[in-house]
Amino acid sequence: MGIRFNEVSHKYSSFSDGNLSAIYQVSLKIKAKDEFIALVGHTGSGKTTLAKHMNALIFPTEGNVEIFNKIITKKRNRDIKYNEIRKKVGLVFQFPEYQLFEETVLKDIMFGPLNFHISKEEARNLAINALKLVGLDESYSNRNPYNLSGGEKKRVSIAGILAMDPDILVLDEPTSGLDPAGKRVLMELFKDIHKRTNKTIIIITHDMDLVYEYFSRAVVMNEGELVYDGSPESLFKEHDLSKNHLDYPNTIKVLTHLNKTLKLNLNVYQKTAIDALKEIEKAGIL
Amino acid sequence: MNGIIIGQFIPGDGFFYKVDPRSKIAGIFFLMIAVFLLKDIYQVLGALLLTFGLLIIGKISFIKVLKGLKPIFILLIFTFVFQILINRQGNILVDTNLNISLINIGLVIILFVIWRFLAKFKKFNFLLFLGFLFGSIFIFIYSSFSFDYNLTSFNLQIYEKGIEMSIFVVIRLLIIITLSTILTLTTKPTDLTQGLESLLSPLKKIGFNSEDFALIISISLRYIPTIFDEANKIMQAQASRGADFSEGKLKEKLKQVISLLIPMFIIAFMRSEELADAMESRNFVPGKARTRIHELNYSYRDVLVTAFTVVFFAVALLFRLNVLGY
Repeated sequence: MGIRFNEVSHKYSSFSDGNLSAIYQVSLKIKAKDEFIALVGHTGSGKTTLAKHMNALIFPTEGNVEIFNKIITKKRNRDIKYNEIRKKVGLVFQFPEYQLFEETVLKDIMFGPLNFHISKEEARNLAINALKLVGLDESYSNRNPYNLSGGEKKRVSIAGILAMDPDILVLDEPTSGLDPAGKRVLMELFKDIHKRTNKTIIIITHDMDLVYEYFSRAVVMNEGELVYDGSPESLFKEHDLSKNHLDYPNTIKVLTHLNKTLKLNLNVYQKTAIDALKEIEKAGIL
Repeated sequence: MNGIIIGQFIPGDGFFYKVDPRSKIAGIFFLMIAVFLLKDIYQVLGALLLTFGLLIIGKISFIKVLKGLKPIFILLIFTFVFQILINRQGNILVDTNLNISLINIGLVIILFVIWRFLAKFKKFNFLLFLGFLFGSIFIFIYSSFSFDYNLTSFNLQIYEKGIEMSIFVVIRLLIIITLSTILTLTTKPTDLTQGLESLLSPLKKIGFNSEDFALIISISLRYIPTIFDEANKIMQAQASRGADFSEGKLKEKLKQVISLLIPMFIIAFMRSEELADAMESRNFVPGKARTRIHELNYSYRDVLVTAFTVVFFAVALLFRLNVLGY
């Protein structure tokens, strides 16, 4: 078992209005291998808080989280080496500015491995590999991370985690702030890493198109509670998403609209734009 | 990092909340000077009672003021102890020898261990500390064994004036802190800066721009919580990359501190640039005359505060000049 949440609640302390509950009684199981999970929910639904529990950056205020057989509870346990958990579960934050600090890209990527007492040569090799894995060639290795574009910075920050070779990879909104093409390239990249290494990858996202197209499992958070855990297909078919402040994928929206206005009988559940187009062509209205 | 409040303003509706910040700042300033003019323990005791009276008038709870005292508690104890030990005037009250010997040190260490052990239960922390303090003094004074090896002895002398002065100094500090707490508890940071700006505006004639000064203060106050928030995020992002801030060698630790500082600086610069753009896009021009949403207005309360300050200051001055002859 990779990560298991047992009725985890987390409250942030606040001065003005008591304690703010970020997540409430969440139970969730994530396998150590072969999972490709989308963690969705509207802003403030507790996704990021949930993700931070996954590598023990914050502790639950109630319940416990089991991460690779180490049980994380409210209290800091002296017997648990939290750093080892962070090596096994890599968490990439939403904004790369929070972690880039070295003068060259390569050095920055090496920061993680070096923290885990890996020799310099080996860390260097890991870093070069990670750089390739995120689709940046070696010419980037000596550039200043602050002179890169937003998408490139994001890739470097992801490489910084990949170089640690974690068993589970958690990414907080890796596609936010990128153009649609950039999003797809990045998603293909994750899919590719997943296929090649069988690592479990958990991605936080708002983008329902991506969820529908790429993922095999979707976990939906709403107001701090876990409201859905299953395949995206059945999520969009059988559940009323408006209750959870979520949107349907564009393909479903467009095809449903066509069905309504043109009184057609199309199968609206098409994952990609190309499939949707084919469905429309089949109906013979083009 | 969550326990930090800046400015300590707590919303409420007591008397001092409605006083104009200008008269509050000026009043507190002159009251503090007046307290330093006082020379006698009875005078400062009177001033302390008056200050408590202010708290009652302003409906400010003593507990909040006491909480404000917490950070300087150690300072208070130090000034108290130093005054007692150093001042050598008046009649002598205590005159004993402290024997610092091997067995005594051992006994004190045992007492220390017991104290630390009991402190784990987290109740009566302060009482336990006092117990430890007096216990060790007791040991140094009275325990003397003939077979003991005496390292050195220390002559402890406490004079009447020493006790008086130490109480005097501590009370004076208490008054000053209570006064400043009244100011910060009842004044919004924005009002505080606006008040300061208005009070310092005469300095414009000698080239000091109080508006810029007030703007700098209000922006820095506004950004302290934000920066703390950012620091927290950076710490988590680096911890997620295995930066361990609690253990490791000094060299590694240094590296990890750098990994916090550099993103911190860069984010701070980014933020300030964004803020400057946002202000300029809303037509902010430095040095131009501006209107405000909340104008400062004097009321009868300000007259009361000013009158109180003037009377208090005058009395203190008269005491100082010995005019009242007591």
